Amino acid sequence: MSRLTRLAVALVALGGSAPAAAQKPVTLLNVSYDPTRELYQDVNAAFARYWKTKTGQDVVVRQSHGGSGSQARAVIDGLDADVVTLALAGDIDRISEKSGLIPADWQSRLPHNSTPYTSTIVFLVRKGNPKHIRDWDDLTRPGVSVVTPNPKTSGGARWNYLAAWSYALKRPGGTQESARAFVAKLYHNVPVLDAGARGATTTFVERGIGDVLIAWENEALLAAKELGGGQVELVVPSVSILAEPPVAVVEKVAKRRGTLAVAQAYLEYLYSDEGQDIAARHYYRPRNQTIAARYASQFPKLTLFTVDAVFGGWKGAQATHFADGGVFDQIYLVQAAGP
Amino acid sequence: MDWKAMSRYVVMAGAGITLAVPTVTAQQDSAARRDSQPSLAEQVEVLDQKVRVLARLLELQRDSLTAAAKQQPKVTAGKEGFVIRSADGDFQLKVRGYVQADGRSYPDGAPVLGTSTLFLRRARPVTEVTAWRYFTLKLVPDFGQGRVVLFDAYLDFRTGPALTFRAGKTKPPIGLERLQLATDIRFIERGLPTNLVPNRDVGLQAVGDFAGGRLSYAVGVFNGVPDLGNLDGDATNDKDLVGRVFLKPTQGLGIGIAASTGNEHGTVTAPSLAAYVTPGQQTMFRYRDSTIANGRRYRVTPQVYFYGGPLGLLGEYVVSSQVVTRGAAVGELKHTSWQVAGSWYVTGEKASFTAVAPRRPFDTSEKHWGALEIGARYGQLTLDDAAFPIFANSTNAVRDVRAWGVGVTWHFVRGTQLSANYEQAQFTGGAPSGADRATEHFFATRFQQAF
Repeated sequence: MSRLTRLAVALVALGGSAPAAAQKPVTLLNVSYDPTRELYQDVNAAFARYWKTKTGQDVVVRQSHGGSGSQARAVIDGLDADVVTLALAGDIDRISEKSGLIPADWQSRLPHNSTPYTSTIVFLVRKGNPKHIRDWDDLTRPGVSVVTPNPKTSGGARWNYLAAWSYALKRPGGTQESARAFVAKLYHNVPVLDAGARGATTTFVERGIGDVLIAWENEALLAAKELGGGQVELVVPSVSILAEPPVAVVEKVAKRRGTLAVAQAYLEYLYSDEGQDIAARHYYRPRNQTIAARYASQFPKLTLFTVDAVFGGWKGAQATHFADGGVFDQIYLVQAAGP
Repeated sequence: MDWKAMSRYVVMAGAGITLAVPTVTAQQDSAARRDSQPSLAEQVEVLDQKVRVLARLLELQRDSLTAAAKQQPKVTAGKEGFVIRSADGDFQLKVRGYVQADGRSYPDGAPVLGTSTLFLRRARPVTEVTAWRYFTLKLVPDFGQGRVVLFDAYLDFRTGPALTFRAGKTKPPIGLERLQLATDIRFIERGLPTNLVPNRDVGLQAVGDFAGGRLSYAVGVFNGVPDLGNLDGDATNDKDLVGRVFLKPTQGLGIGIAASTGNEHGTVTAPSLAAYVTPGQQTMFRYRDSTIANGRRYRVTPQVYFYGGPLGLLGEYVVSSQVVTRGAAVGELKHTSWQVAGSWYVTGEKASFTAVAPRRPFDTSEKHWGALEIGARYGQLTLDDAAFPIFANSTNAVRDVRAWGVGVTWHFVRGTQLSANYEQAQFTGGAPSGADRATEHFFATRFQQAF
């Protein structure tokens, strides 16, 4: 073997061993909405173990939480998120449109419109339900104090708002006008608008404000079983809305940071059996029917509307209700200004 | 919206409190009316809710203000100068500056060696603007010595510690002492080797650090100014390639080498050749008229420094070679220079290549007097023998100079100091009839304020 050949063999051998030796630890940033803290703490730990076993690489997933709308704005303004796991598709659409960091067809990149789990909107009331709150109508009664976050900053709040609107619209004789009046009446009973869902839970559970909290099902179950110390109860309304919190890789950021593959794997992991089980344990409704059946007893059965069916999709709902000067602004700013 | 909402609840809460007292009276007066009124417990519950709402609104308001404050630009004044910085740090305006007021005298009184004078050596405002995180513009004009000269004007595109692109007018990365900031040099004037390296030039370079700054590099293309040159443009198409590598293997030790190469072709009116100066800044060597740069030029300069405790050492050696012509005569002249400089903080400060802050900054109330530093240096500059007699006249151009100097600096606070130097230079040649130029005795003082 010539000296040149030996050198070439040595270089090939060195190159062949390079990938395993070059597995530097990687860090991801998951920018998420308010109530997913506990969910992603568990997901991140499980994914780190999974990824280490699969590739030998250490991965640390950092978390950022806030109102879904605020988080979308932060990413648009330059927060280097590798993935976003937000409360609604409209917020990810906004990142895609305003910054171009996410491809326009992001929702087709993962199963179930890139929504690995679902949830819905329910009520949380004080122990014993002293105000006898059973359904959406009760939230508009005089003397009932309702806690819900600000739809301008919170994705969960937008689901709350649309669930109430859907209920009013689907009542016998319901029209857009009657739905608007119903929602206006409901927000008349709201004393505090928190920026995010977790803040609203704090207002209701820890600060003791209000008679009812309109909340994500997972947040309400968590509060009823763990946060509330037995002082709050879950009330399931007759109808609600199917909330589909989506996920997406922020492709341009991930490519720049060299994290695209691990970011993609991280989101795919949410669809795995283990990922679905973790979601169910945190009171999110899993997409995997086998796992959903295993946890069926913890999720109440109720009629669920979809945004597409009632509002024709998120883009229309966003423009009509939550854009500056939209219906919510008209309702709430008029109330705040007083008669 | 929050304030309006809060005001609404303040009014409601106030109304509730106003109502509470008459309600108690009514309960005492009439059992029938008592039945129709909310109970005291119910009223307390209502008021309790209102107080909780108000408290929560204040809490949210405070959170909102705290979050808003984090988004506000920060204005600071400190040792970095006066700084306005956006909340995310991507945009920044930094204003600094320094003034050096000097005195020079030549104690032996020989008038040919220079005039004793007080003057403003440097007066330089320094403005740095960073935009969009990656781009920084630096502007440094000088108003000293009764003229206005733009010393630095360049744009940095910083992609990371390992690579910054720098375009504009700046110091070419060659001479070690030249690269030291004017406010940080240990003697009032730089040593003899600085004669053989450029001062400022316009060009494009890439600079960066590896291994946490242990290895630094710079490589660039410049117009190519003569030794000691400071020009804003170029009269020829010839350019210089300049490079420098500097290692810091251990704390305080730095060792490197820099070089430049290029071609330079001057004209009789713009010969592109330097005149060299004594430690007292008097011209000691110049080429004969009609001598011009006319061919390859290169410089090589190994360089080293060591700072350990209060001790500082700096050494450099420079070779500057230039092909010159005068009429039909052609010569490749190779001038050399070297120096070793040492300094010592009598007050125990830790010496550094950059500015040092006194351990006890000047404060009369605390009886703190700042720091005291002493220094000494020795250096030599040798002009190529081949320069004589065709390209230089030995009756007014020296062949060699050896100089030693001592100095003392009183650092009041970081950047503000009073210095005094004495330097003595002995020459070979440079006087009529084959004699040597008279020994130069140079005494200089400086008061410097930098912020």
